[in-house]
Amino acid sequence: MKTEGMKISAYALQGGIRGTMKKPIIVFQDFTFRYKTQKEATLHHIDLTLYEGEKVLILGPSGCGKSTLANCINGLIPFSFKGEIQGSLKVAGIETKNASIFEISKHVGTVQQDTDAQFVGLSVGEDIAFALENRSVPRKEMLPKVERTAKIVGMEDYLGQPPFQLSGGQKQKVALAGILHDEEEVLLFDEPLAALDPAMGMTAVDLIDRIHRDQKKTVLIIEHRLEDVLYRHVDRVILMDQGRIQLDSTPDELLSTGLLKEHGIREPLYISALKNAGIKFTETTHLDNLEELDFEAYKQPILDELKASKPVEVPEPGELLLKVEHVDFAYEKRKVLDDVSFEVHRGERIAIIGKNGAGKSTMAKMLCGIIRPQKGTITMKGQNYLELSIREIGRLIGYVMQNPNQMLVKDMIIDEVRLALDLNKFDEALVKERVEETLKMCGLYSMRNWPVSALSYGQRKRVTIASILALKPDIIILDEPTAGQDYYHYTEIMNFLENLNQEFQITILFITHDMHLAIEYTDRAIVFADSRCIADDYVFRVLSNTQIIEEANLKQTSLVTLAKRVGADPESFIRHFIEREREERANGSK
Amino acid sequence: MDLNKRLFINIIPGNTFLDKLSGTTKVRLFIALVILLVVTWDVRIIWPALVVAIIGLVSIKPNKKLVLGLIGFVTLMNLFNLFLVWVVMPDSGADIVGASTVLFRFSERYVVTAETLWYFMVRFTKFMATFMISITFIQSITPSEMAAGLYSVKIPYKVATMVSIAFRYIPEISRDFGDIKISMQARGMELDPKKTSLFERLKQNVVILVPLIIVSFDRVGNIANAMDLRGYGRGKTRTYYSEHEETPNDRKMKVVYLLLYVAVIAVIIGRIFFPGEFEIWAPWI
Amino acid sequence: MSKEKKNIGKMLLGTWDTKTVVGVAIGAALFAVLMNYGGIRVFTNTSLTTAMIVVPIVAGLFGPLPAALVAGLGNVLADLIGGWGFWFDWSIGNFFMGLFIGLLPVYGAKIEDGIFQVKHMIGYVISVLVGNLVGFGLVTPLLTFLFYSHELTITWAQAFSAIVSNGIVEIVIGIPVLLLLAKRNAKKNNLSTED
Repeated sequence: MKTEGMKISAYALQGGIRGTMKKPIIVFQDFTFRYKTQKEATLHHIDLTLYEGEKVLILGPSGCGKSTLANCINGLIPFSFKGEIQGSLKVAGIETKNASIFEISKHVGTVQQDTDAQFVGLSVGEDIAFALENRSVPRKEMLPKVERTAKIVGMEDYLGQPPFQLSGGQKQKVALAGILHDEEEVLLFDEPLAALDPAMGMTAVDLIDRIHRDQKKTVLIIEHRLEDVLYRHVDRVILMDQGRIQLDSTPDELLSTGLLKEHGIREPLYISALKNAGIKFTETTHLDNLEELDFEAYKQPILDELKASKPVEVPEPGELLLKVEHVDFAYEKRKVLDDVSFEVHRGERIAIIGKNGAGKSTMAKMLCGIIRPQKGTITMKGQNYLELSIREIGRLIGYVMQNPNQMLVKDMIIDEVRLALDLNKFDEALVKERVEETLKMCGLYSMRNWPVSALSYGQRKRVTIASILALKPDIIILDEPTAGQDYYHYTEIMNFLENLNQEFQITILFITHDMHLAIEYTDRAIVFADSRCIADDYVFRVLSNTQIIEEANLKQTSLVTLAKRVGADPESFIRHFIEREREERANGSK
Repeated sequence: MDLNKRLFINIIPGNTFLDKLSGTTKVRLFIALVILLVVTWDVRIIWPALVVAIIGLVSIKPNKKLVLGLIGFVTLMNLFNLFLVWVVMPDSGADIVGASTVLFRFSERYVVTAETLWYFMVRFTKFMATFMISITFIQSITPSEMAAGLYSVKIPYKVATMVSIAFRYIPEISRDFGDIKISMQARGMELDPKKTSLFERLKQNVVILVPLIIVSFDRVGNIANAMDLRGYGRGKTRTYYSEHEETPNDRKMKVVYLLLYVAVIAVIIGRIFFPGEFEIWAPWI
Repeated sequence: MSKEKKNIGKMLLGTWDTKTVVGVAIGAALFAVLMNYGGIRVFTNTSLTTAMIVVPIVAGLFGPLPAALVAGLGNVLADLIGGWGFWFDWSIGNFFMGLFIGLLPVYGAKIEDGIFQVKHMIGYVISVLVGNLVGFGLVTPLLTFLFYSHELTITWAQAFSAIVSNGIVEIVIGIPVLLLLAKRNAKKNNLSTED
């Protein structure tokens, strides 16, 4: 705790110069909050002052209290979430525990994580106008206001569009426009990147940055995806864990410490790569910005480390399980899959990547037999797929949906796992045997009689995977298995899957737009763009290919930038990075 | 795109005369017409209303195939219904119209009278007029305009919001419903009704409904928070972005619906104070 | 106890905050979706709708009046998206049926807290029967009579089939669904691992 105090004062020293001009806008003083339904407090003795015009990142793993902190600032606590407040929180001079949410919402505008839930209007214009409608602003005054804020976020040409035709990124822009109607001084973004694919995430970070500069607002970003947020400059980072502030400093200082790993936050990949090369950060300038970082001192160690690496032999693929040949599919007249071909072998881990709407979900649906190709053939273990029913395919390929709640039916884990077996009318002895085997495989056996409601997200995910594995499919398809999860839960889910793959030879297809996932846990990537399959190759090769990255609207990983800056070959650099990380993980798990 | 087609109500406003009226005008006009048709059995009102309904329906250029199919279906249902009425009460015209002019006789009991046919015709046209006005209304209003229109007739805005929020999330819920059904199918559920017994089908529905209900209501908290954060419910009144100011056409239609309300009152007063001996007017009686 | 009795009025109304507004809206949307796509084929051209299940769920979460609104509004919405015209008489009948089925919290069943025992099932069955009789045996025929026609035989026949089919779905599917949901929501504290 002492060091923490020192860091705060260190920051105050830096901020002191600015502090002469800036006035505080959010002031926590010895603030403690406990939810009514919980025994322990979620926030402990928070002391924090945020100044007008600052851009602050509030960083921390899930359950660290960062969302609770956000809800205290925007007034949802105590308006919607009841609990006990101690100490003081002033937002724009208003003591929040005595104020109504409406009063606070005049000063704080919030963009929430769930882009669908916060879009309540039936058109873009209507949703932007929602706050104005509630204030009974006459329509005549409303129209120019809506137009103005729509222009700020670049949605002015979409005012009549209904939400069903918008992407997640566009919905988020609309949400942002809805809180830019002049009065709010503070803009609060609660996990703005959670629902977006990487390219959209970059656009969002960029937009937030532009609005911070142009509109002179105070911006607070709550996130755990550090590297993505640091795509644009942030004045200050507050690291939270276990309901307390662990660090209050600049991004540079944070990156030079070891605090990230300690608190379950993923390090930016380039920082990991630099550390791998044995580099210690002494000077902490521009660590948060790869483009401006001075590389002179780092170049040699990185190249040396790369030279010392020996590429691991790529294992021979197992038997051929699935063969997709020249498959076409169109919804009405819009082509979604255009001449797609690829193969899947036993034991492979494949990332199916591409931006939303590129055709990857359609491909997954087709592999499950829900939709059938209009042209081309699919062969599964030598059988013509067209002759198989959905149920028969279900025993060869299992599909795990993104949201576990969409799959969970029963109240008890064991019943959920046996559901598919019962639906397939297996006899009781076989059902028992399979259920036990699957539960053990998934590490759920000791919890088999637990109610599903008592489980965490990651555990629920595991139950849904078990419920699919009970049918012993050769391949499982996972749709965004880690969406919205912090690094800790991400690691938990992915390590579980890695274990299934390595120990039980389960072939796994990941539908994802998470580049980290592809780098860390898959061998091959199949890339979709505009309904075509534009690449099918080793992950390190795909990710180092600038042309593919651009065509698929993916985000260039910082490893490529780093490699280019030190003059290394990006492909071998990524390959070496992946191999090294995996080796460490393998050692770590033993 | 696909979703908008699948819903019978349009989310995106059209551009015909009726489409361009304000939600307030549309809702008030609709209510006036429907009440008028409910309270009257007089063809001198019903037939003009039917003509107006047909003109209205044609004017909004609806999806012809869909609308004709519907009208055909409803007509058949109605004729069948009337046939049943005739089977139960072959001479129902006598009580309602006030005479019994036999046109055709099958047996002692089963007769076809001119009055019964007249009554059936009135009943049929009354129904068809109401029906066509309903589909014209649905096809020419958006859910947001409907919310605004309901608010304009003094329905609390919280109720009006329910209508628009429900429409907002119907596509999401249909999508979830489809997804859940698919995932259960992949886990081995047989959905072909030919291969399953009724009891099994009932059981299957339990399996689909539980996750669907949970996933649907999971949204409530987030949506409500998003609304609270933007000041929903803070005022006694509300304005509507989708509700444009009165246009000259709105003003003209205002005269129309006000006249209709006068007509409604006149009909009601007429029926209370000067009840005829028989319910339905017929030219020959 | 006396405090509880005083609150029955409030219990019937439910609290009208934003959550309730959204809850009713989502309930009505779900109702409309199920009414349109969630039919269980009995014979060709005849199907049972599962939409009614939503009503007791909303009652458990928000109270009887919200539940009744879900039934009434949901039916109107189903008519609006299905495009088979407006049937006020049935929607209003549905509203009254919903009001009865929505009495769940009044006789002590709390689905969201995992409380749904045999006595609550009996209460539920009774409320389903009474609700259907009042809604479709009384309100709808009366309104149909006023709106459209002069004889009741046909309306009674339709009402009867509605009462039977709704009753079957609400009881045969409703109870297992409510039971499962209650179990899912039940709080179990001392979880221990087994070998």
